Amino acid sequence: MSVVEVKNLKKYFRVHKKEPGLIGSVKSLVSWRYEEVKAVDAISFNIEEGELVGFIGPNGAGKTTTLKCLSGLLYPTAGFISVLGFLPHQRKPEFLRQISLVMGQKNQLWWDLPPLETFQLNKEIYEIPEEKYKETLSELVALLEVGDILKVQVRKLSLGQRMKCELIAALLHSPKVLFLDEPTIGLDVVAQKKMRDFIKEYNRRYKATILLTSHYMGDVKELCRRVLIIDKGKLVFDGRLSEITQKYADHKLISVILAQEVEEKVIKNLGEIKEFSFPKLVYFVKREEVSKIAAKVLENLPVADLNIEEPPIEDIIRELFTGKNYA
Amino acid sequence: MLKYLTLAKITFEEYLVYRLNFVLWRFRSFVSFLTLFFFWLAIYGSRSEFLGYQKSQMLAYVMGIAMLRSIVLGSRSVDLGGQIRSGELTKIVLRPLGIFSFWFSRDLVDKLLNIFFTFLELAIVLAIFKFPFWFPTRLETYIIFAFMVILATFLYFFLSFVISVLAFWTEEIWATRWLFGVIFLEFFAGAFFPIDVLPSWLQKIIYLTPFPYLVFYPLKIWLEQISGAEAVKAILICFGWLLLFWWLAKNLWQRGVKNYGAYGG
Repeated sequence: MSVVEVKNLKKYFRVHKKEPGLIGSVKSLVSWRYEEVKAVDAISFNIEEGELVGFIGPNGAGKTTTLKCLSGLLYPTAGFISVLGFLPHQRKPEFLRQISLVMGQKNQLWWDLPPLETFQLNKEIYEIPEEKYKETLSELVALLEVGDILKVQVRKLSLGQRMKCELIAALLHSPKVLFLDEPTIGLDVVAQKKMRDFIKEYNRRYKATILLTSHYMGDVKELCRRVLIIDKGKLVFDGRLSEITQKYADHKLISVILAQEVEEKVIKNLGEIKEFSFPKLVYFVKREEVSKIAAKVLENLPVADLNIEEPPIEDIIRELFTGKNYA
Repeated sequence: MLKYLTLAKITFEEYLVYRLNFVLWRFRSFVSFLTLFFFWLAIYGSRSEFLGYQKSQMLAYVMGIAMLRSIVLGSRSVDLGGQIRSGELTKIVLRPLGIFSFWFSRDLVDKLLNIFFTFLELAIVLAIFKFPFWFPTRLETYIIFAFMVILATFLYFFLSFVISVLAFWTEEIWATRWLFGVIFLEFFAGAFFPIDVLPSWLQKIIYLTPFPYLVFYPLKIWLEQISGAEAVKAILICFGWLLLFWWLAKNLWQRGVKNYGAYGG
């Protein structure tokens, strides 16, 4: 049985529309206009135990809403969700004890107290035995290298330090399923890397099932073998990251290092140029024409080096989201 | 159980962080008590009885108000409304915690702290003015009073909870809070003056609401101004209100949380 099962999940919000300005405000007192927003519109997927799945999509695509439905925070409009065999929105204590939701933009620690206080409260809330608590805590603290800040007030911590503590607070009860919403948002490159390494290690060590959303392709590329791409509430891709390239990229890149300067006219004649600054030259070519153009390039230009590459995943996904068909 | 104790401990630590805030709050309460106290002192002047209250009874009533404000009306669940609006509620909803127990543990800390300081303040006032404080003559009065106060405490808890939970549906909560907190509570509950000094038509209306059971009736019991039968009646009615508001709080919470947008993020 899958750990997470989602069938035809829909979550619609009724949003109150108000025209701007004072007149609009007065009008809205009399007539309430609602608009239905389809935040999540009939998506289905399954996640197996121990999988680390990335959830990507532009702002407002419905990633967070899906995560909130899965963790039981939101009540789905329609469809079926099962997590660990529970219906999340019932929020049974046995269910809540086995999951955790971490939101990058939300603070779950007690703001005015040191993180250690939150940890101790969570220990009691989740009824973690003393031995187990000490063991898990020291392990997590060592992994995230936060030993020196546990007694500092949360509001005095930096964002990166706080996020690490958020994670510890969320992991003390060793959840079987972990939902991470933008865990690296706002972090600098070094802290992002740390966070990624930790998530990867945590998944490996504890066989925890992790579903993570992120804007940063880096997160997903490094962490997840499988990705779900969601846009405007619809699931547009579910599979391995490497398949995206094959499925959606109808172009390849031929990048050439020139041995000596060549007249630009000659270069232009060979194909569509994506980038040119001597000695580096990149052609953007249709898949089926790759070998033909590569041969021509080799023949007509003083080539020092030549590579045929897939376009970067970021580009493909950007194209995906800017109005191309997903078919 | 242990989790709620730890929660209470953390709440207490929060108060220690916001020491100044708490001191100012106590100062405000103390000043409003003194105002009321001197107001009645001036009205009585050399009279020993007025509006059916002996001077010592009225002063005991005023001190009783200060005490019951701490015991019955001391509360943290006001914050719940704000948490609903800001989405901070998430951190409670996704934990294996009972929502009533969560807020009641926090309320309890608020109450205990306030009770402690109110005791000190009242002791100081009594020591300075050296007037006779009214103590009940019968032993059973203490028991009935204690019982009534416990009921009133829970009644207020659920009442306040219901108001906070309205934040699931209303755009803002301060108007309802204000109306409820100032107009009804202070006035209808008898937290300014005893209700039976008002014109009788207004009294009749007020007795139909749950508010007099919070402050007025407990103090009437303490002053032994109502008969045993009336006290029992008051307790039963208070219990009825308690059940109603408990039911309302529970149901509104369940509906509201279904409606909850978990805003932000």
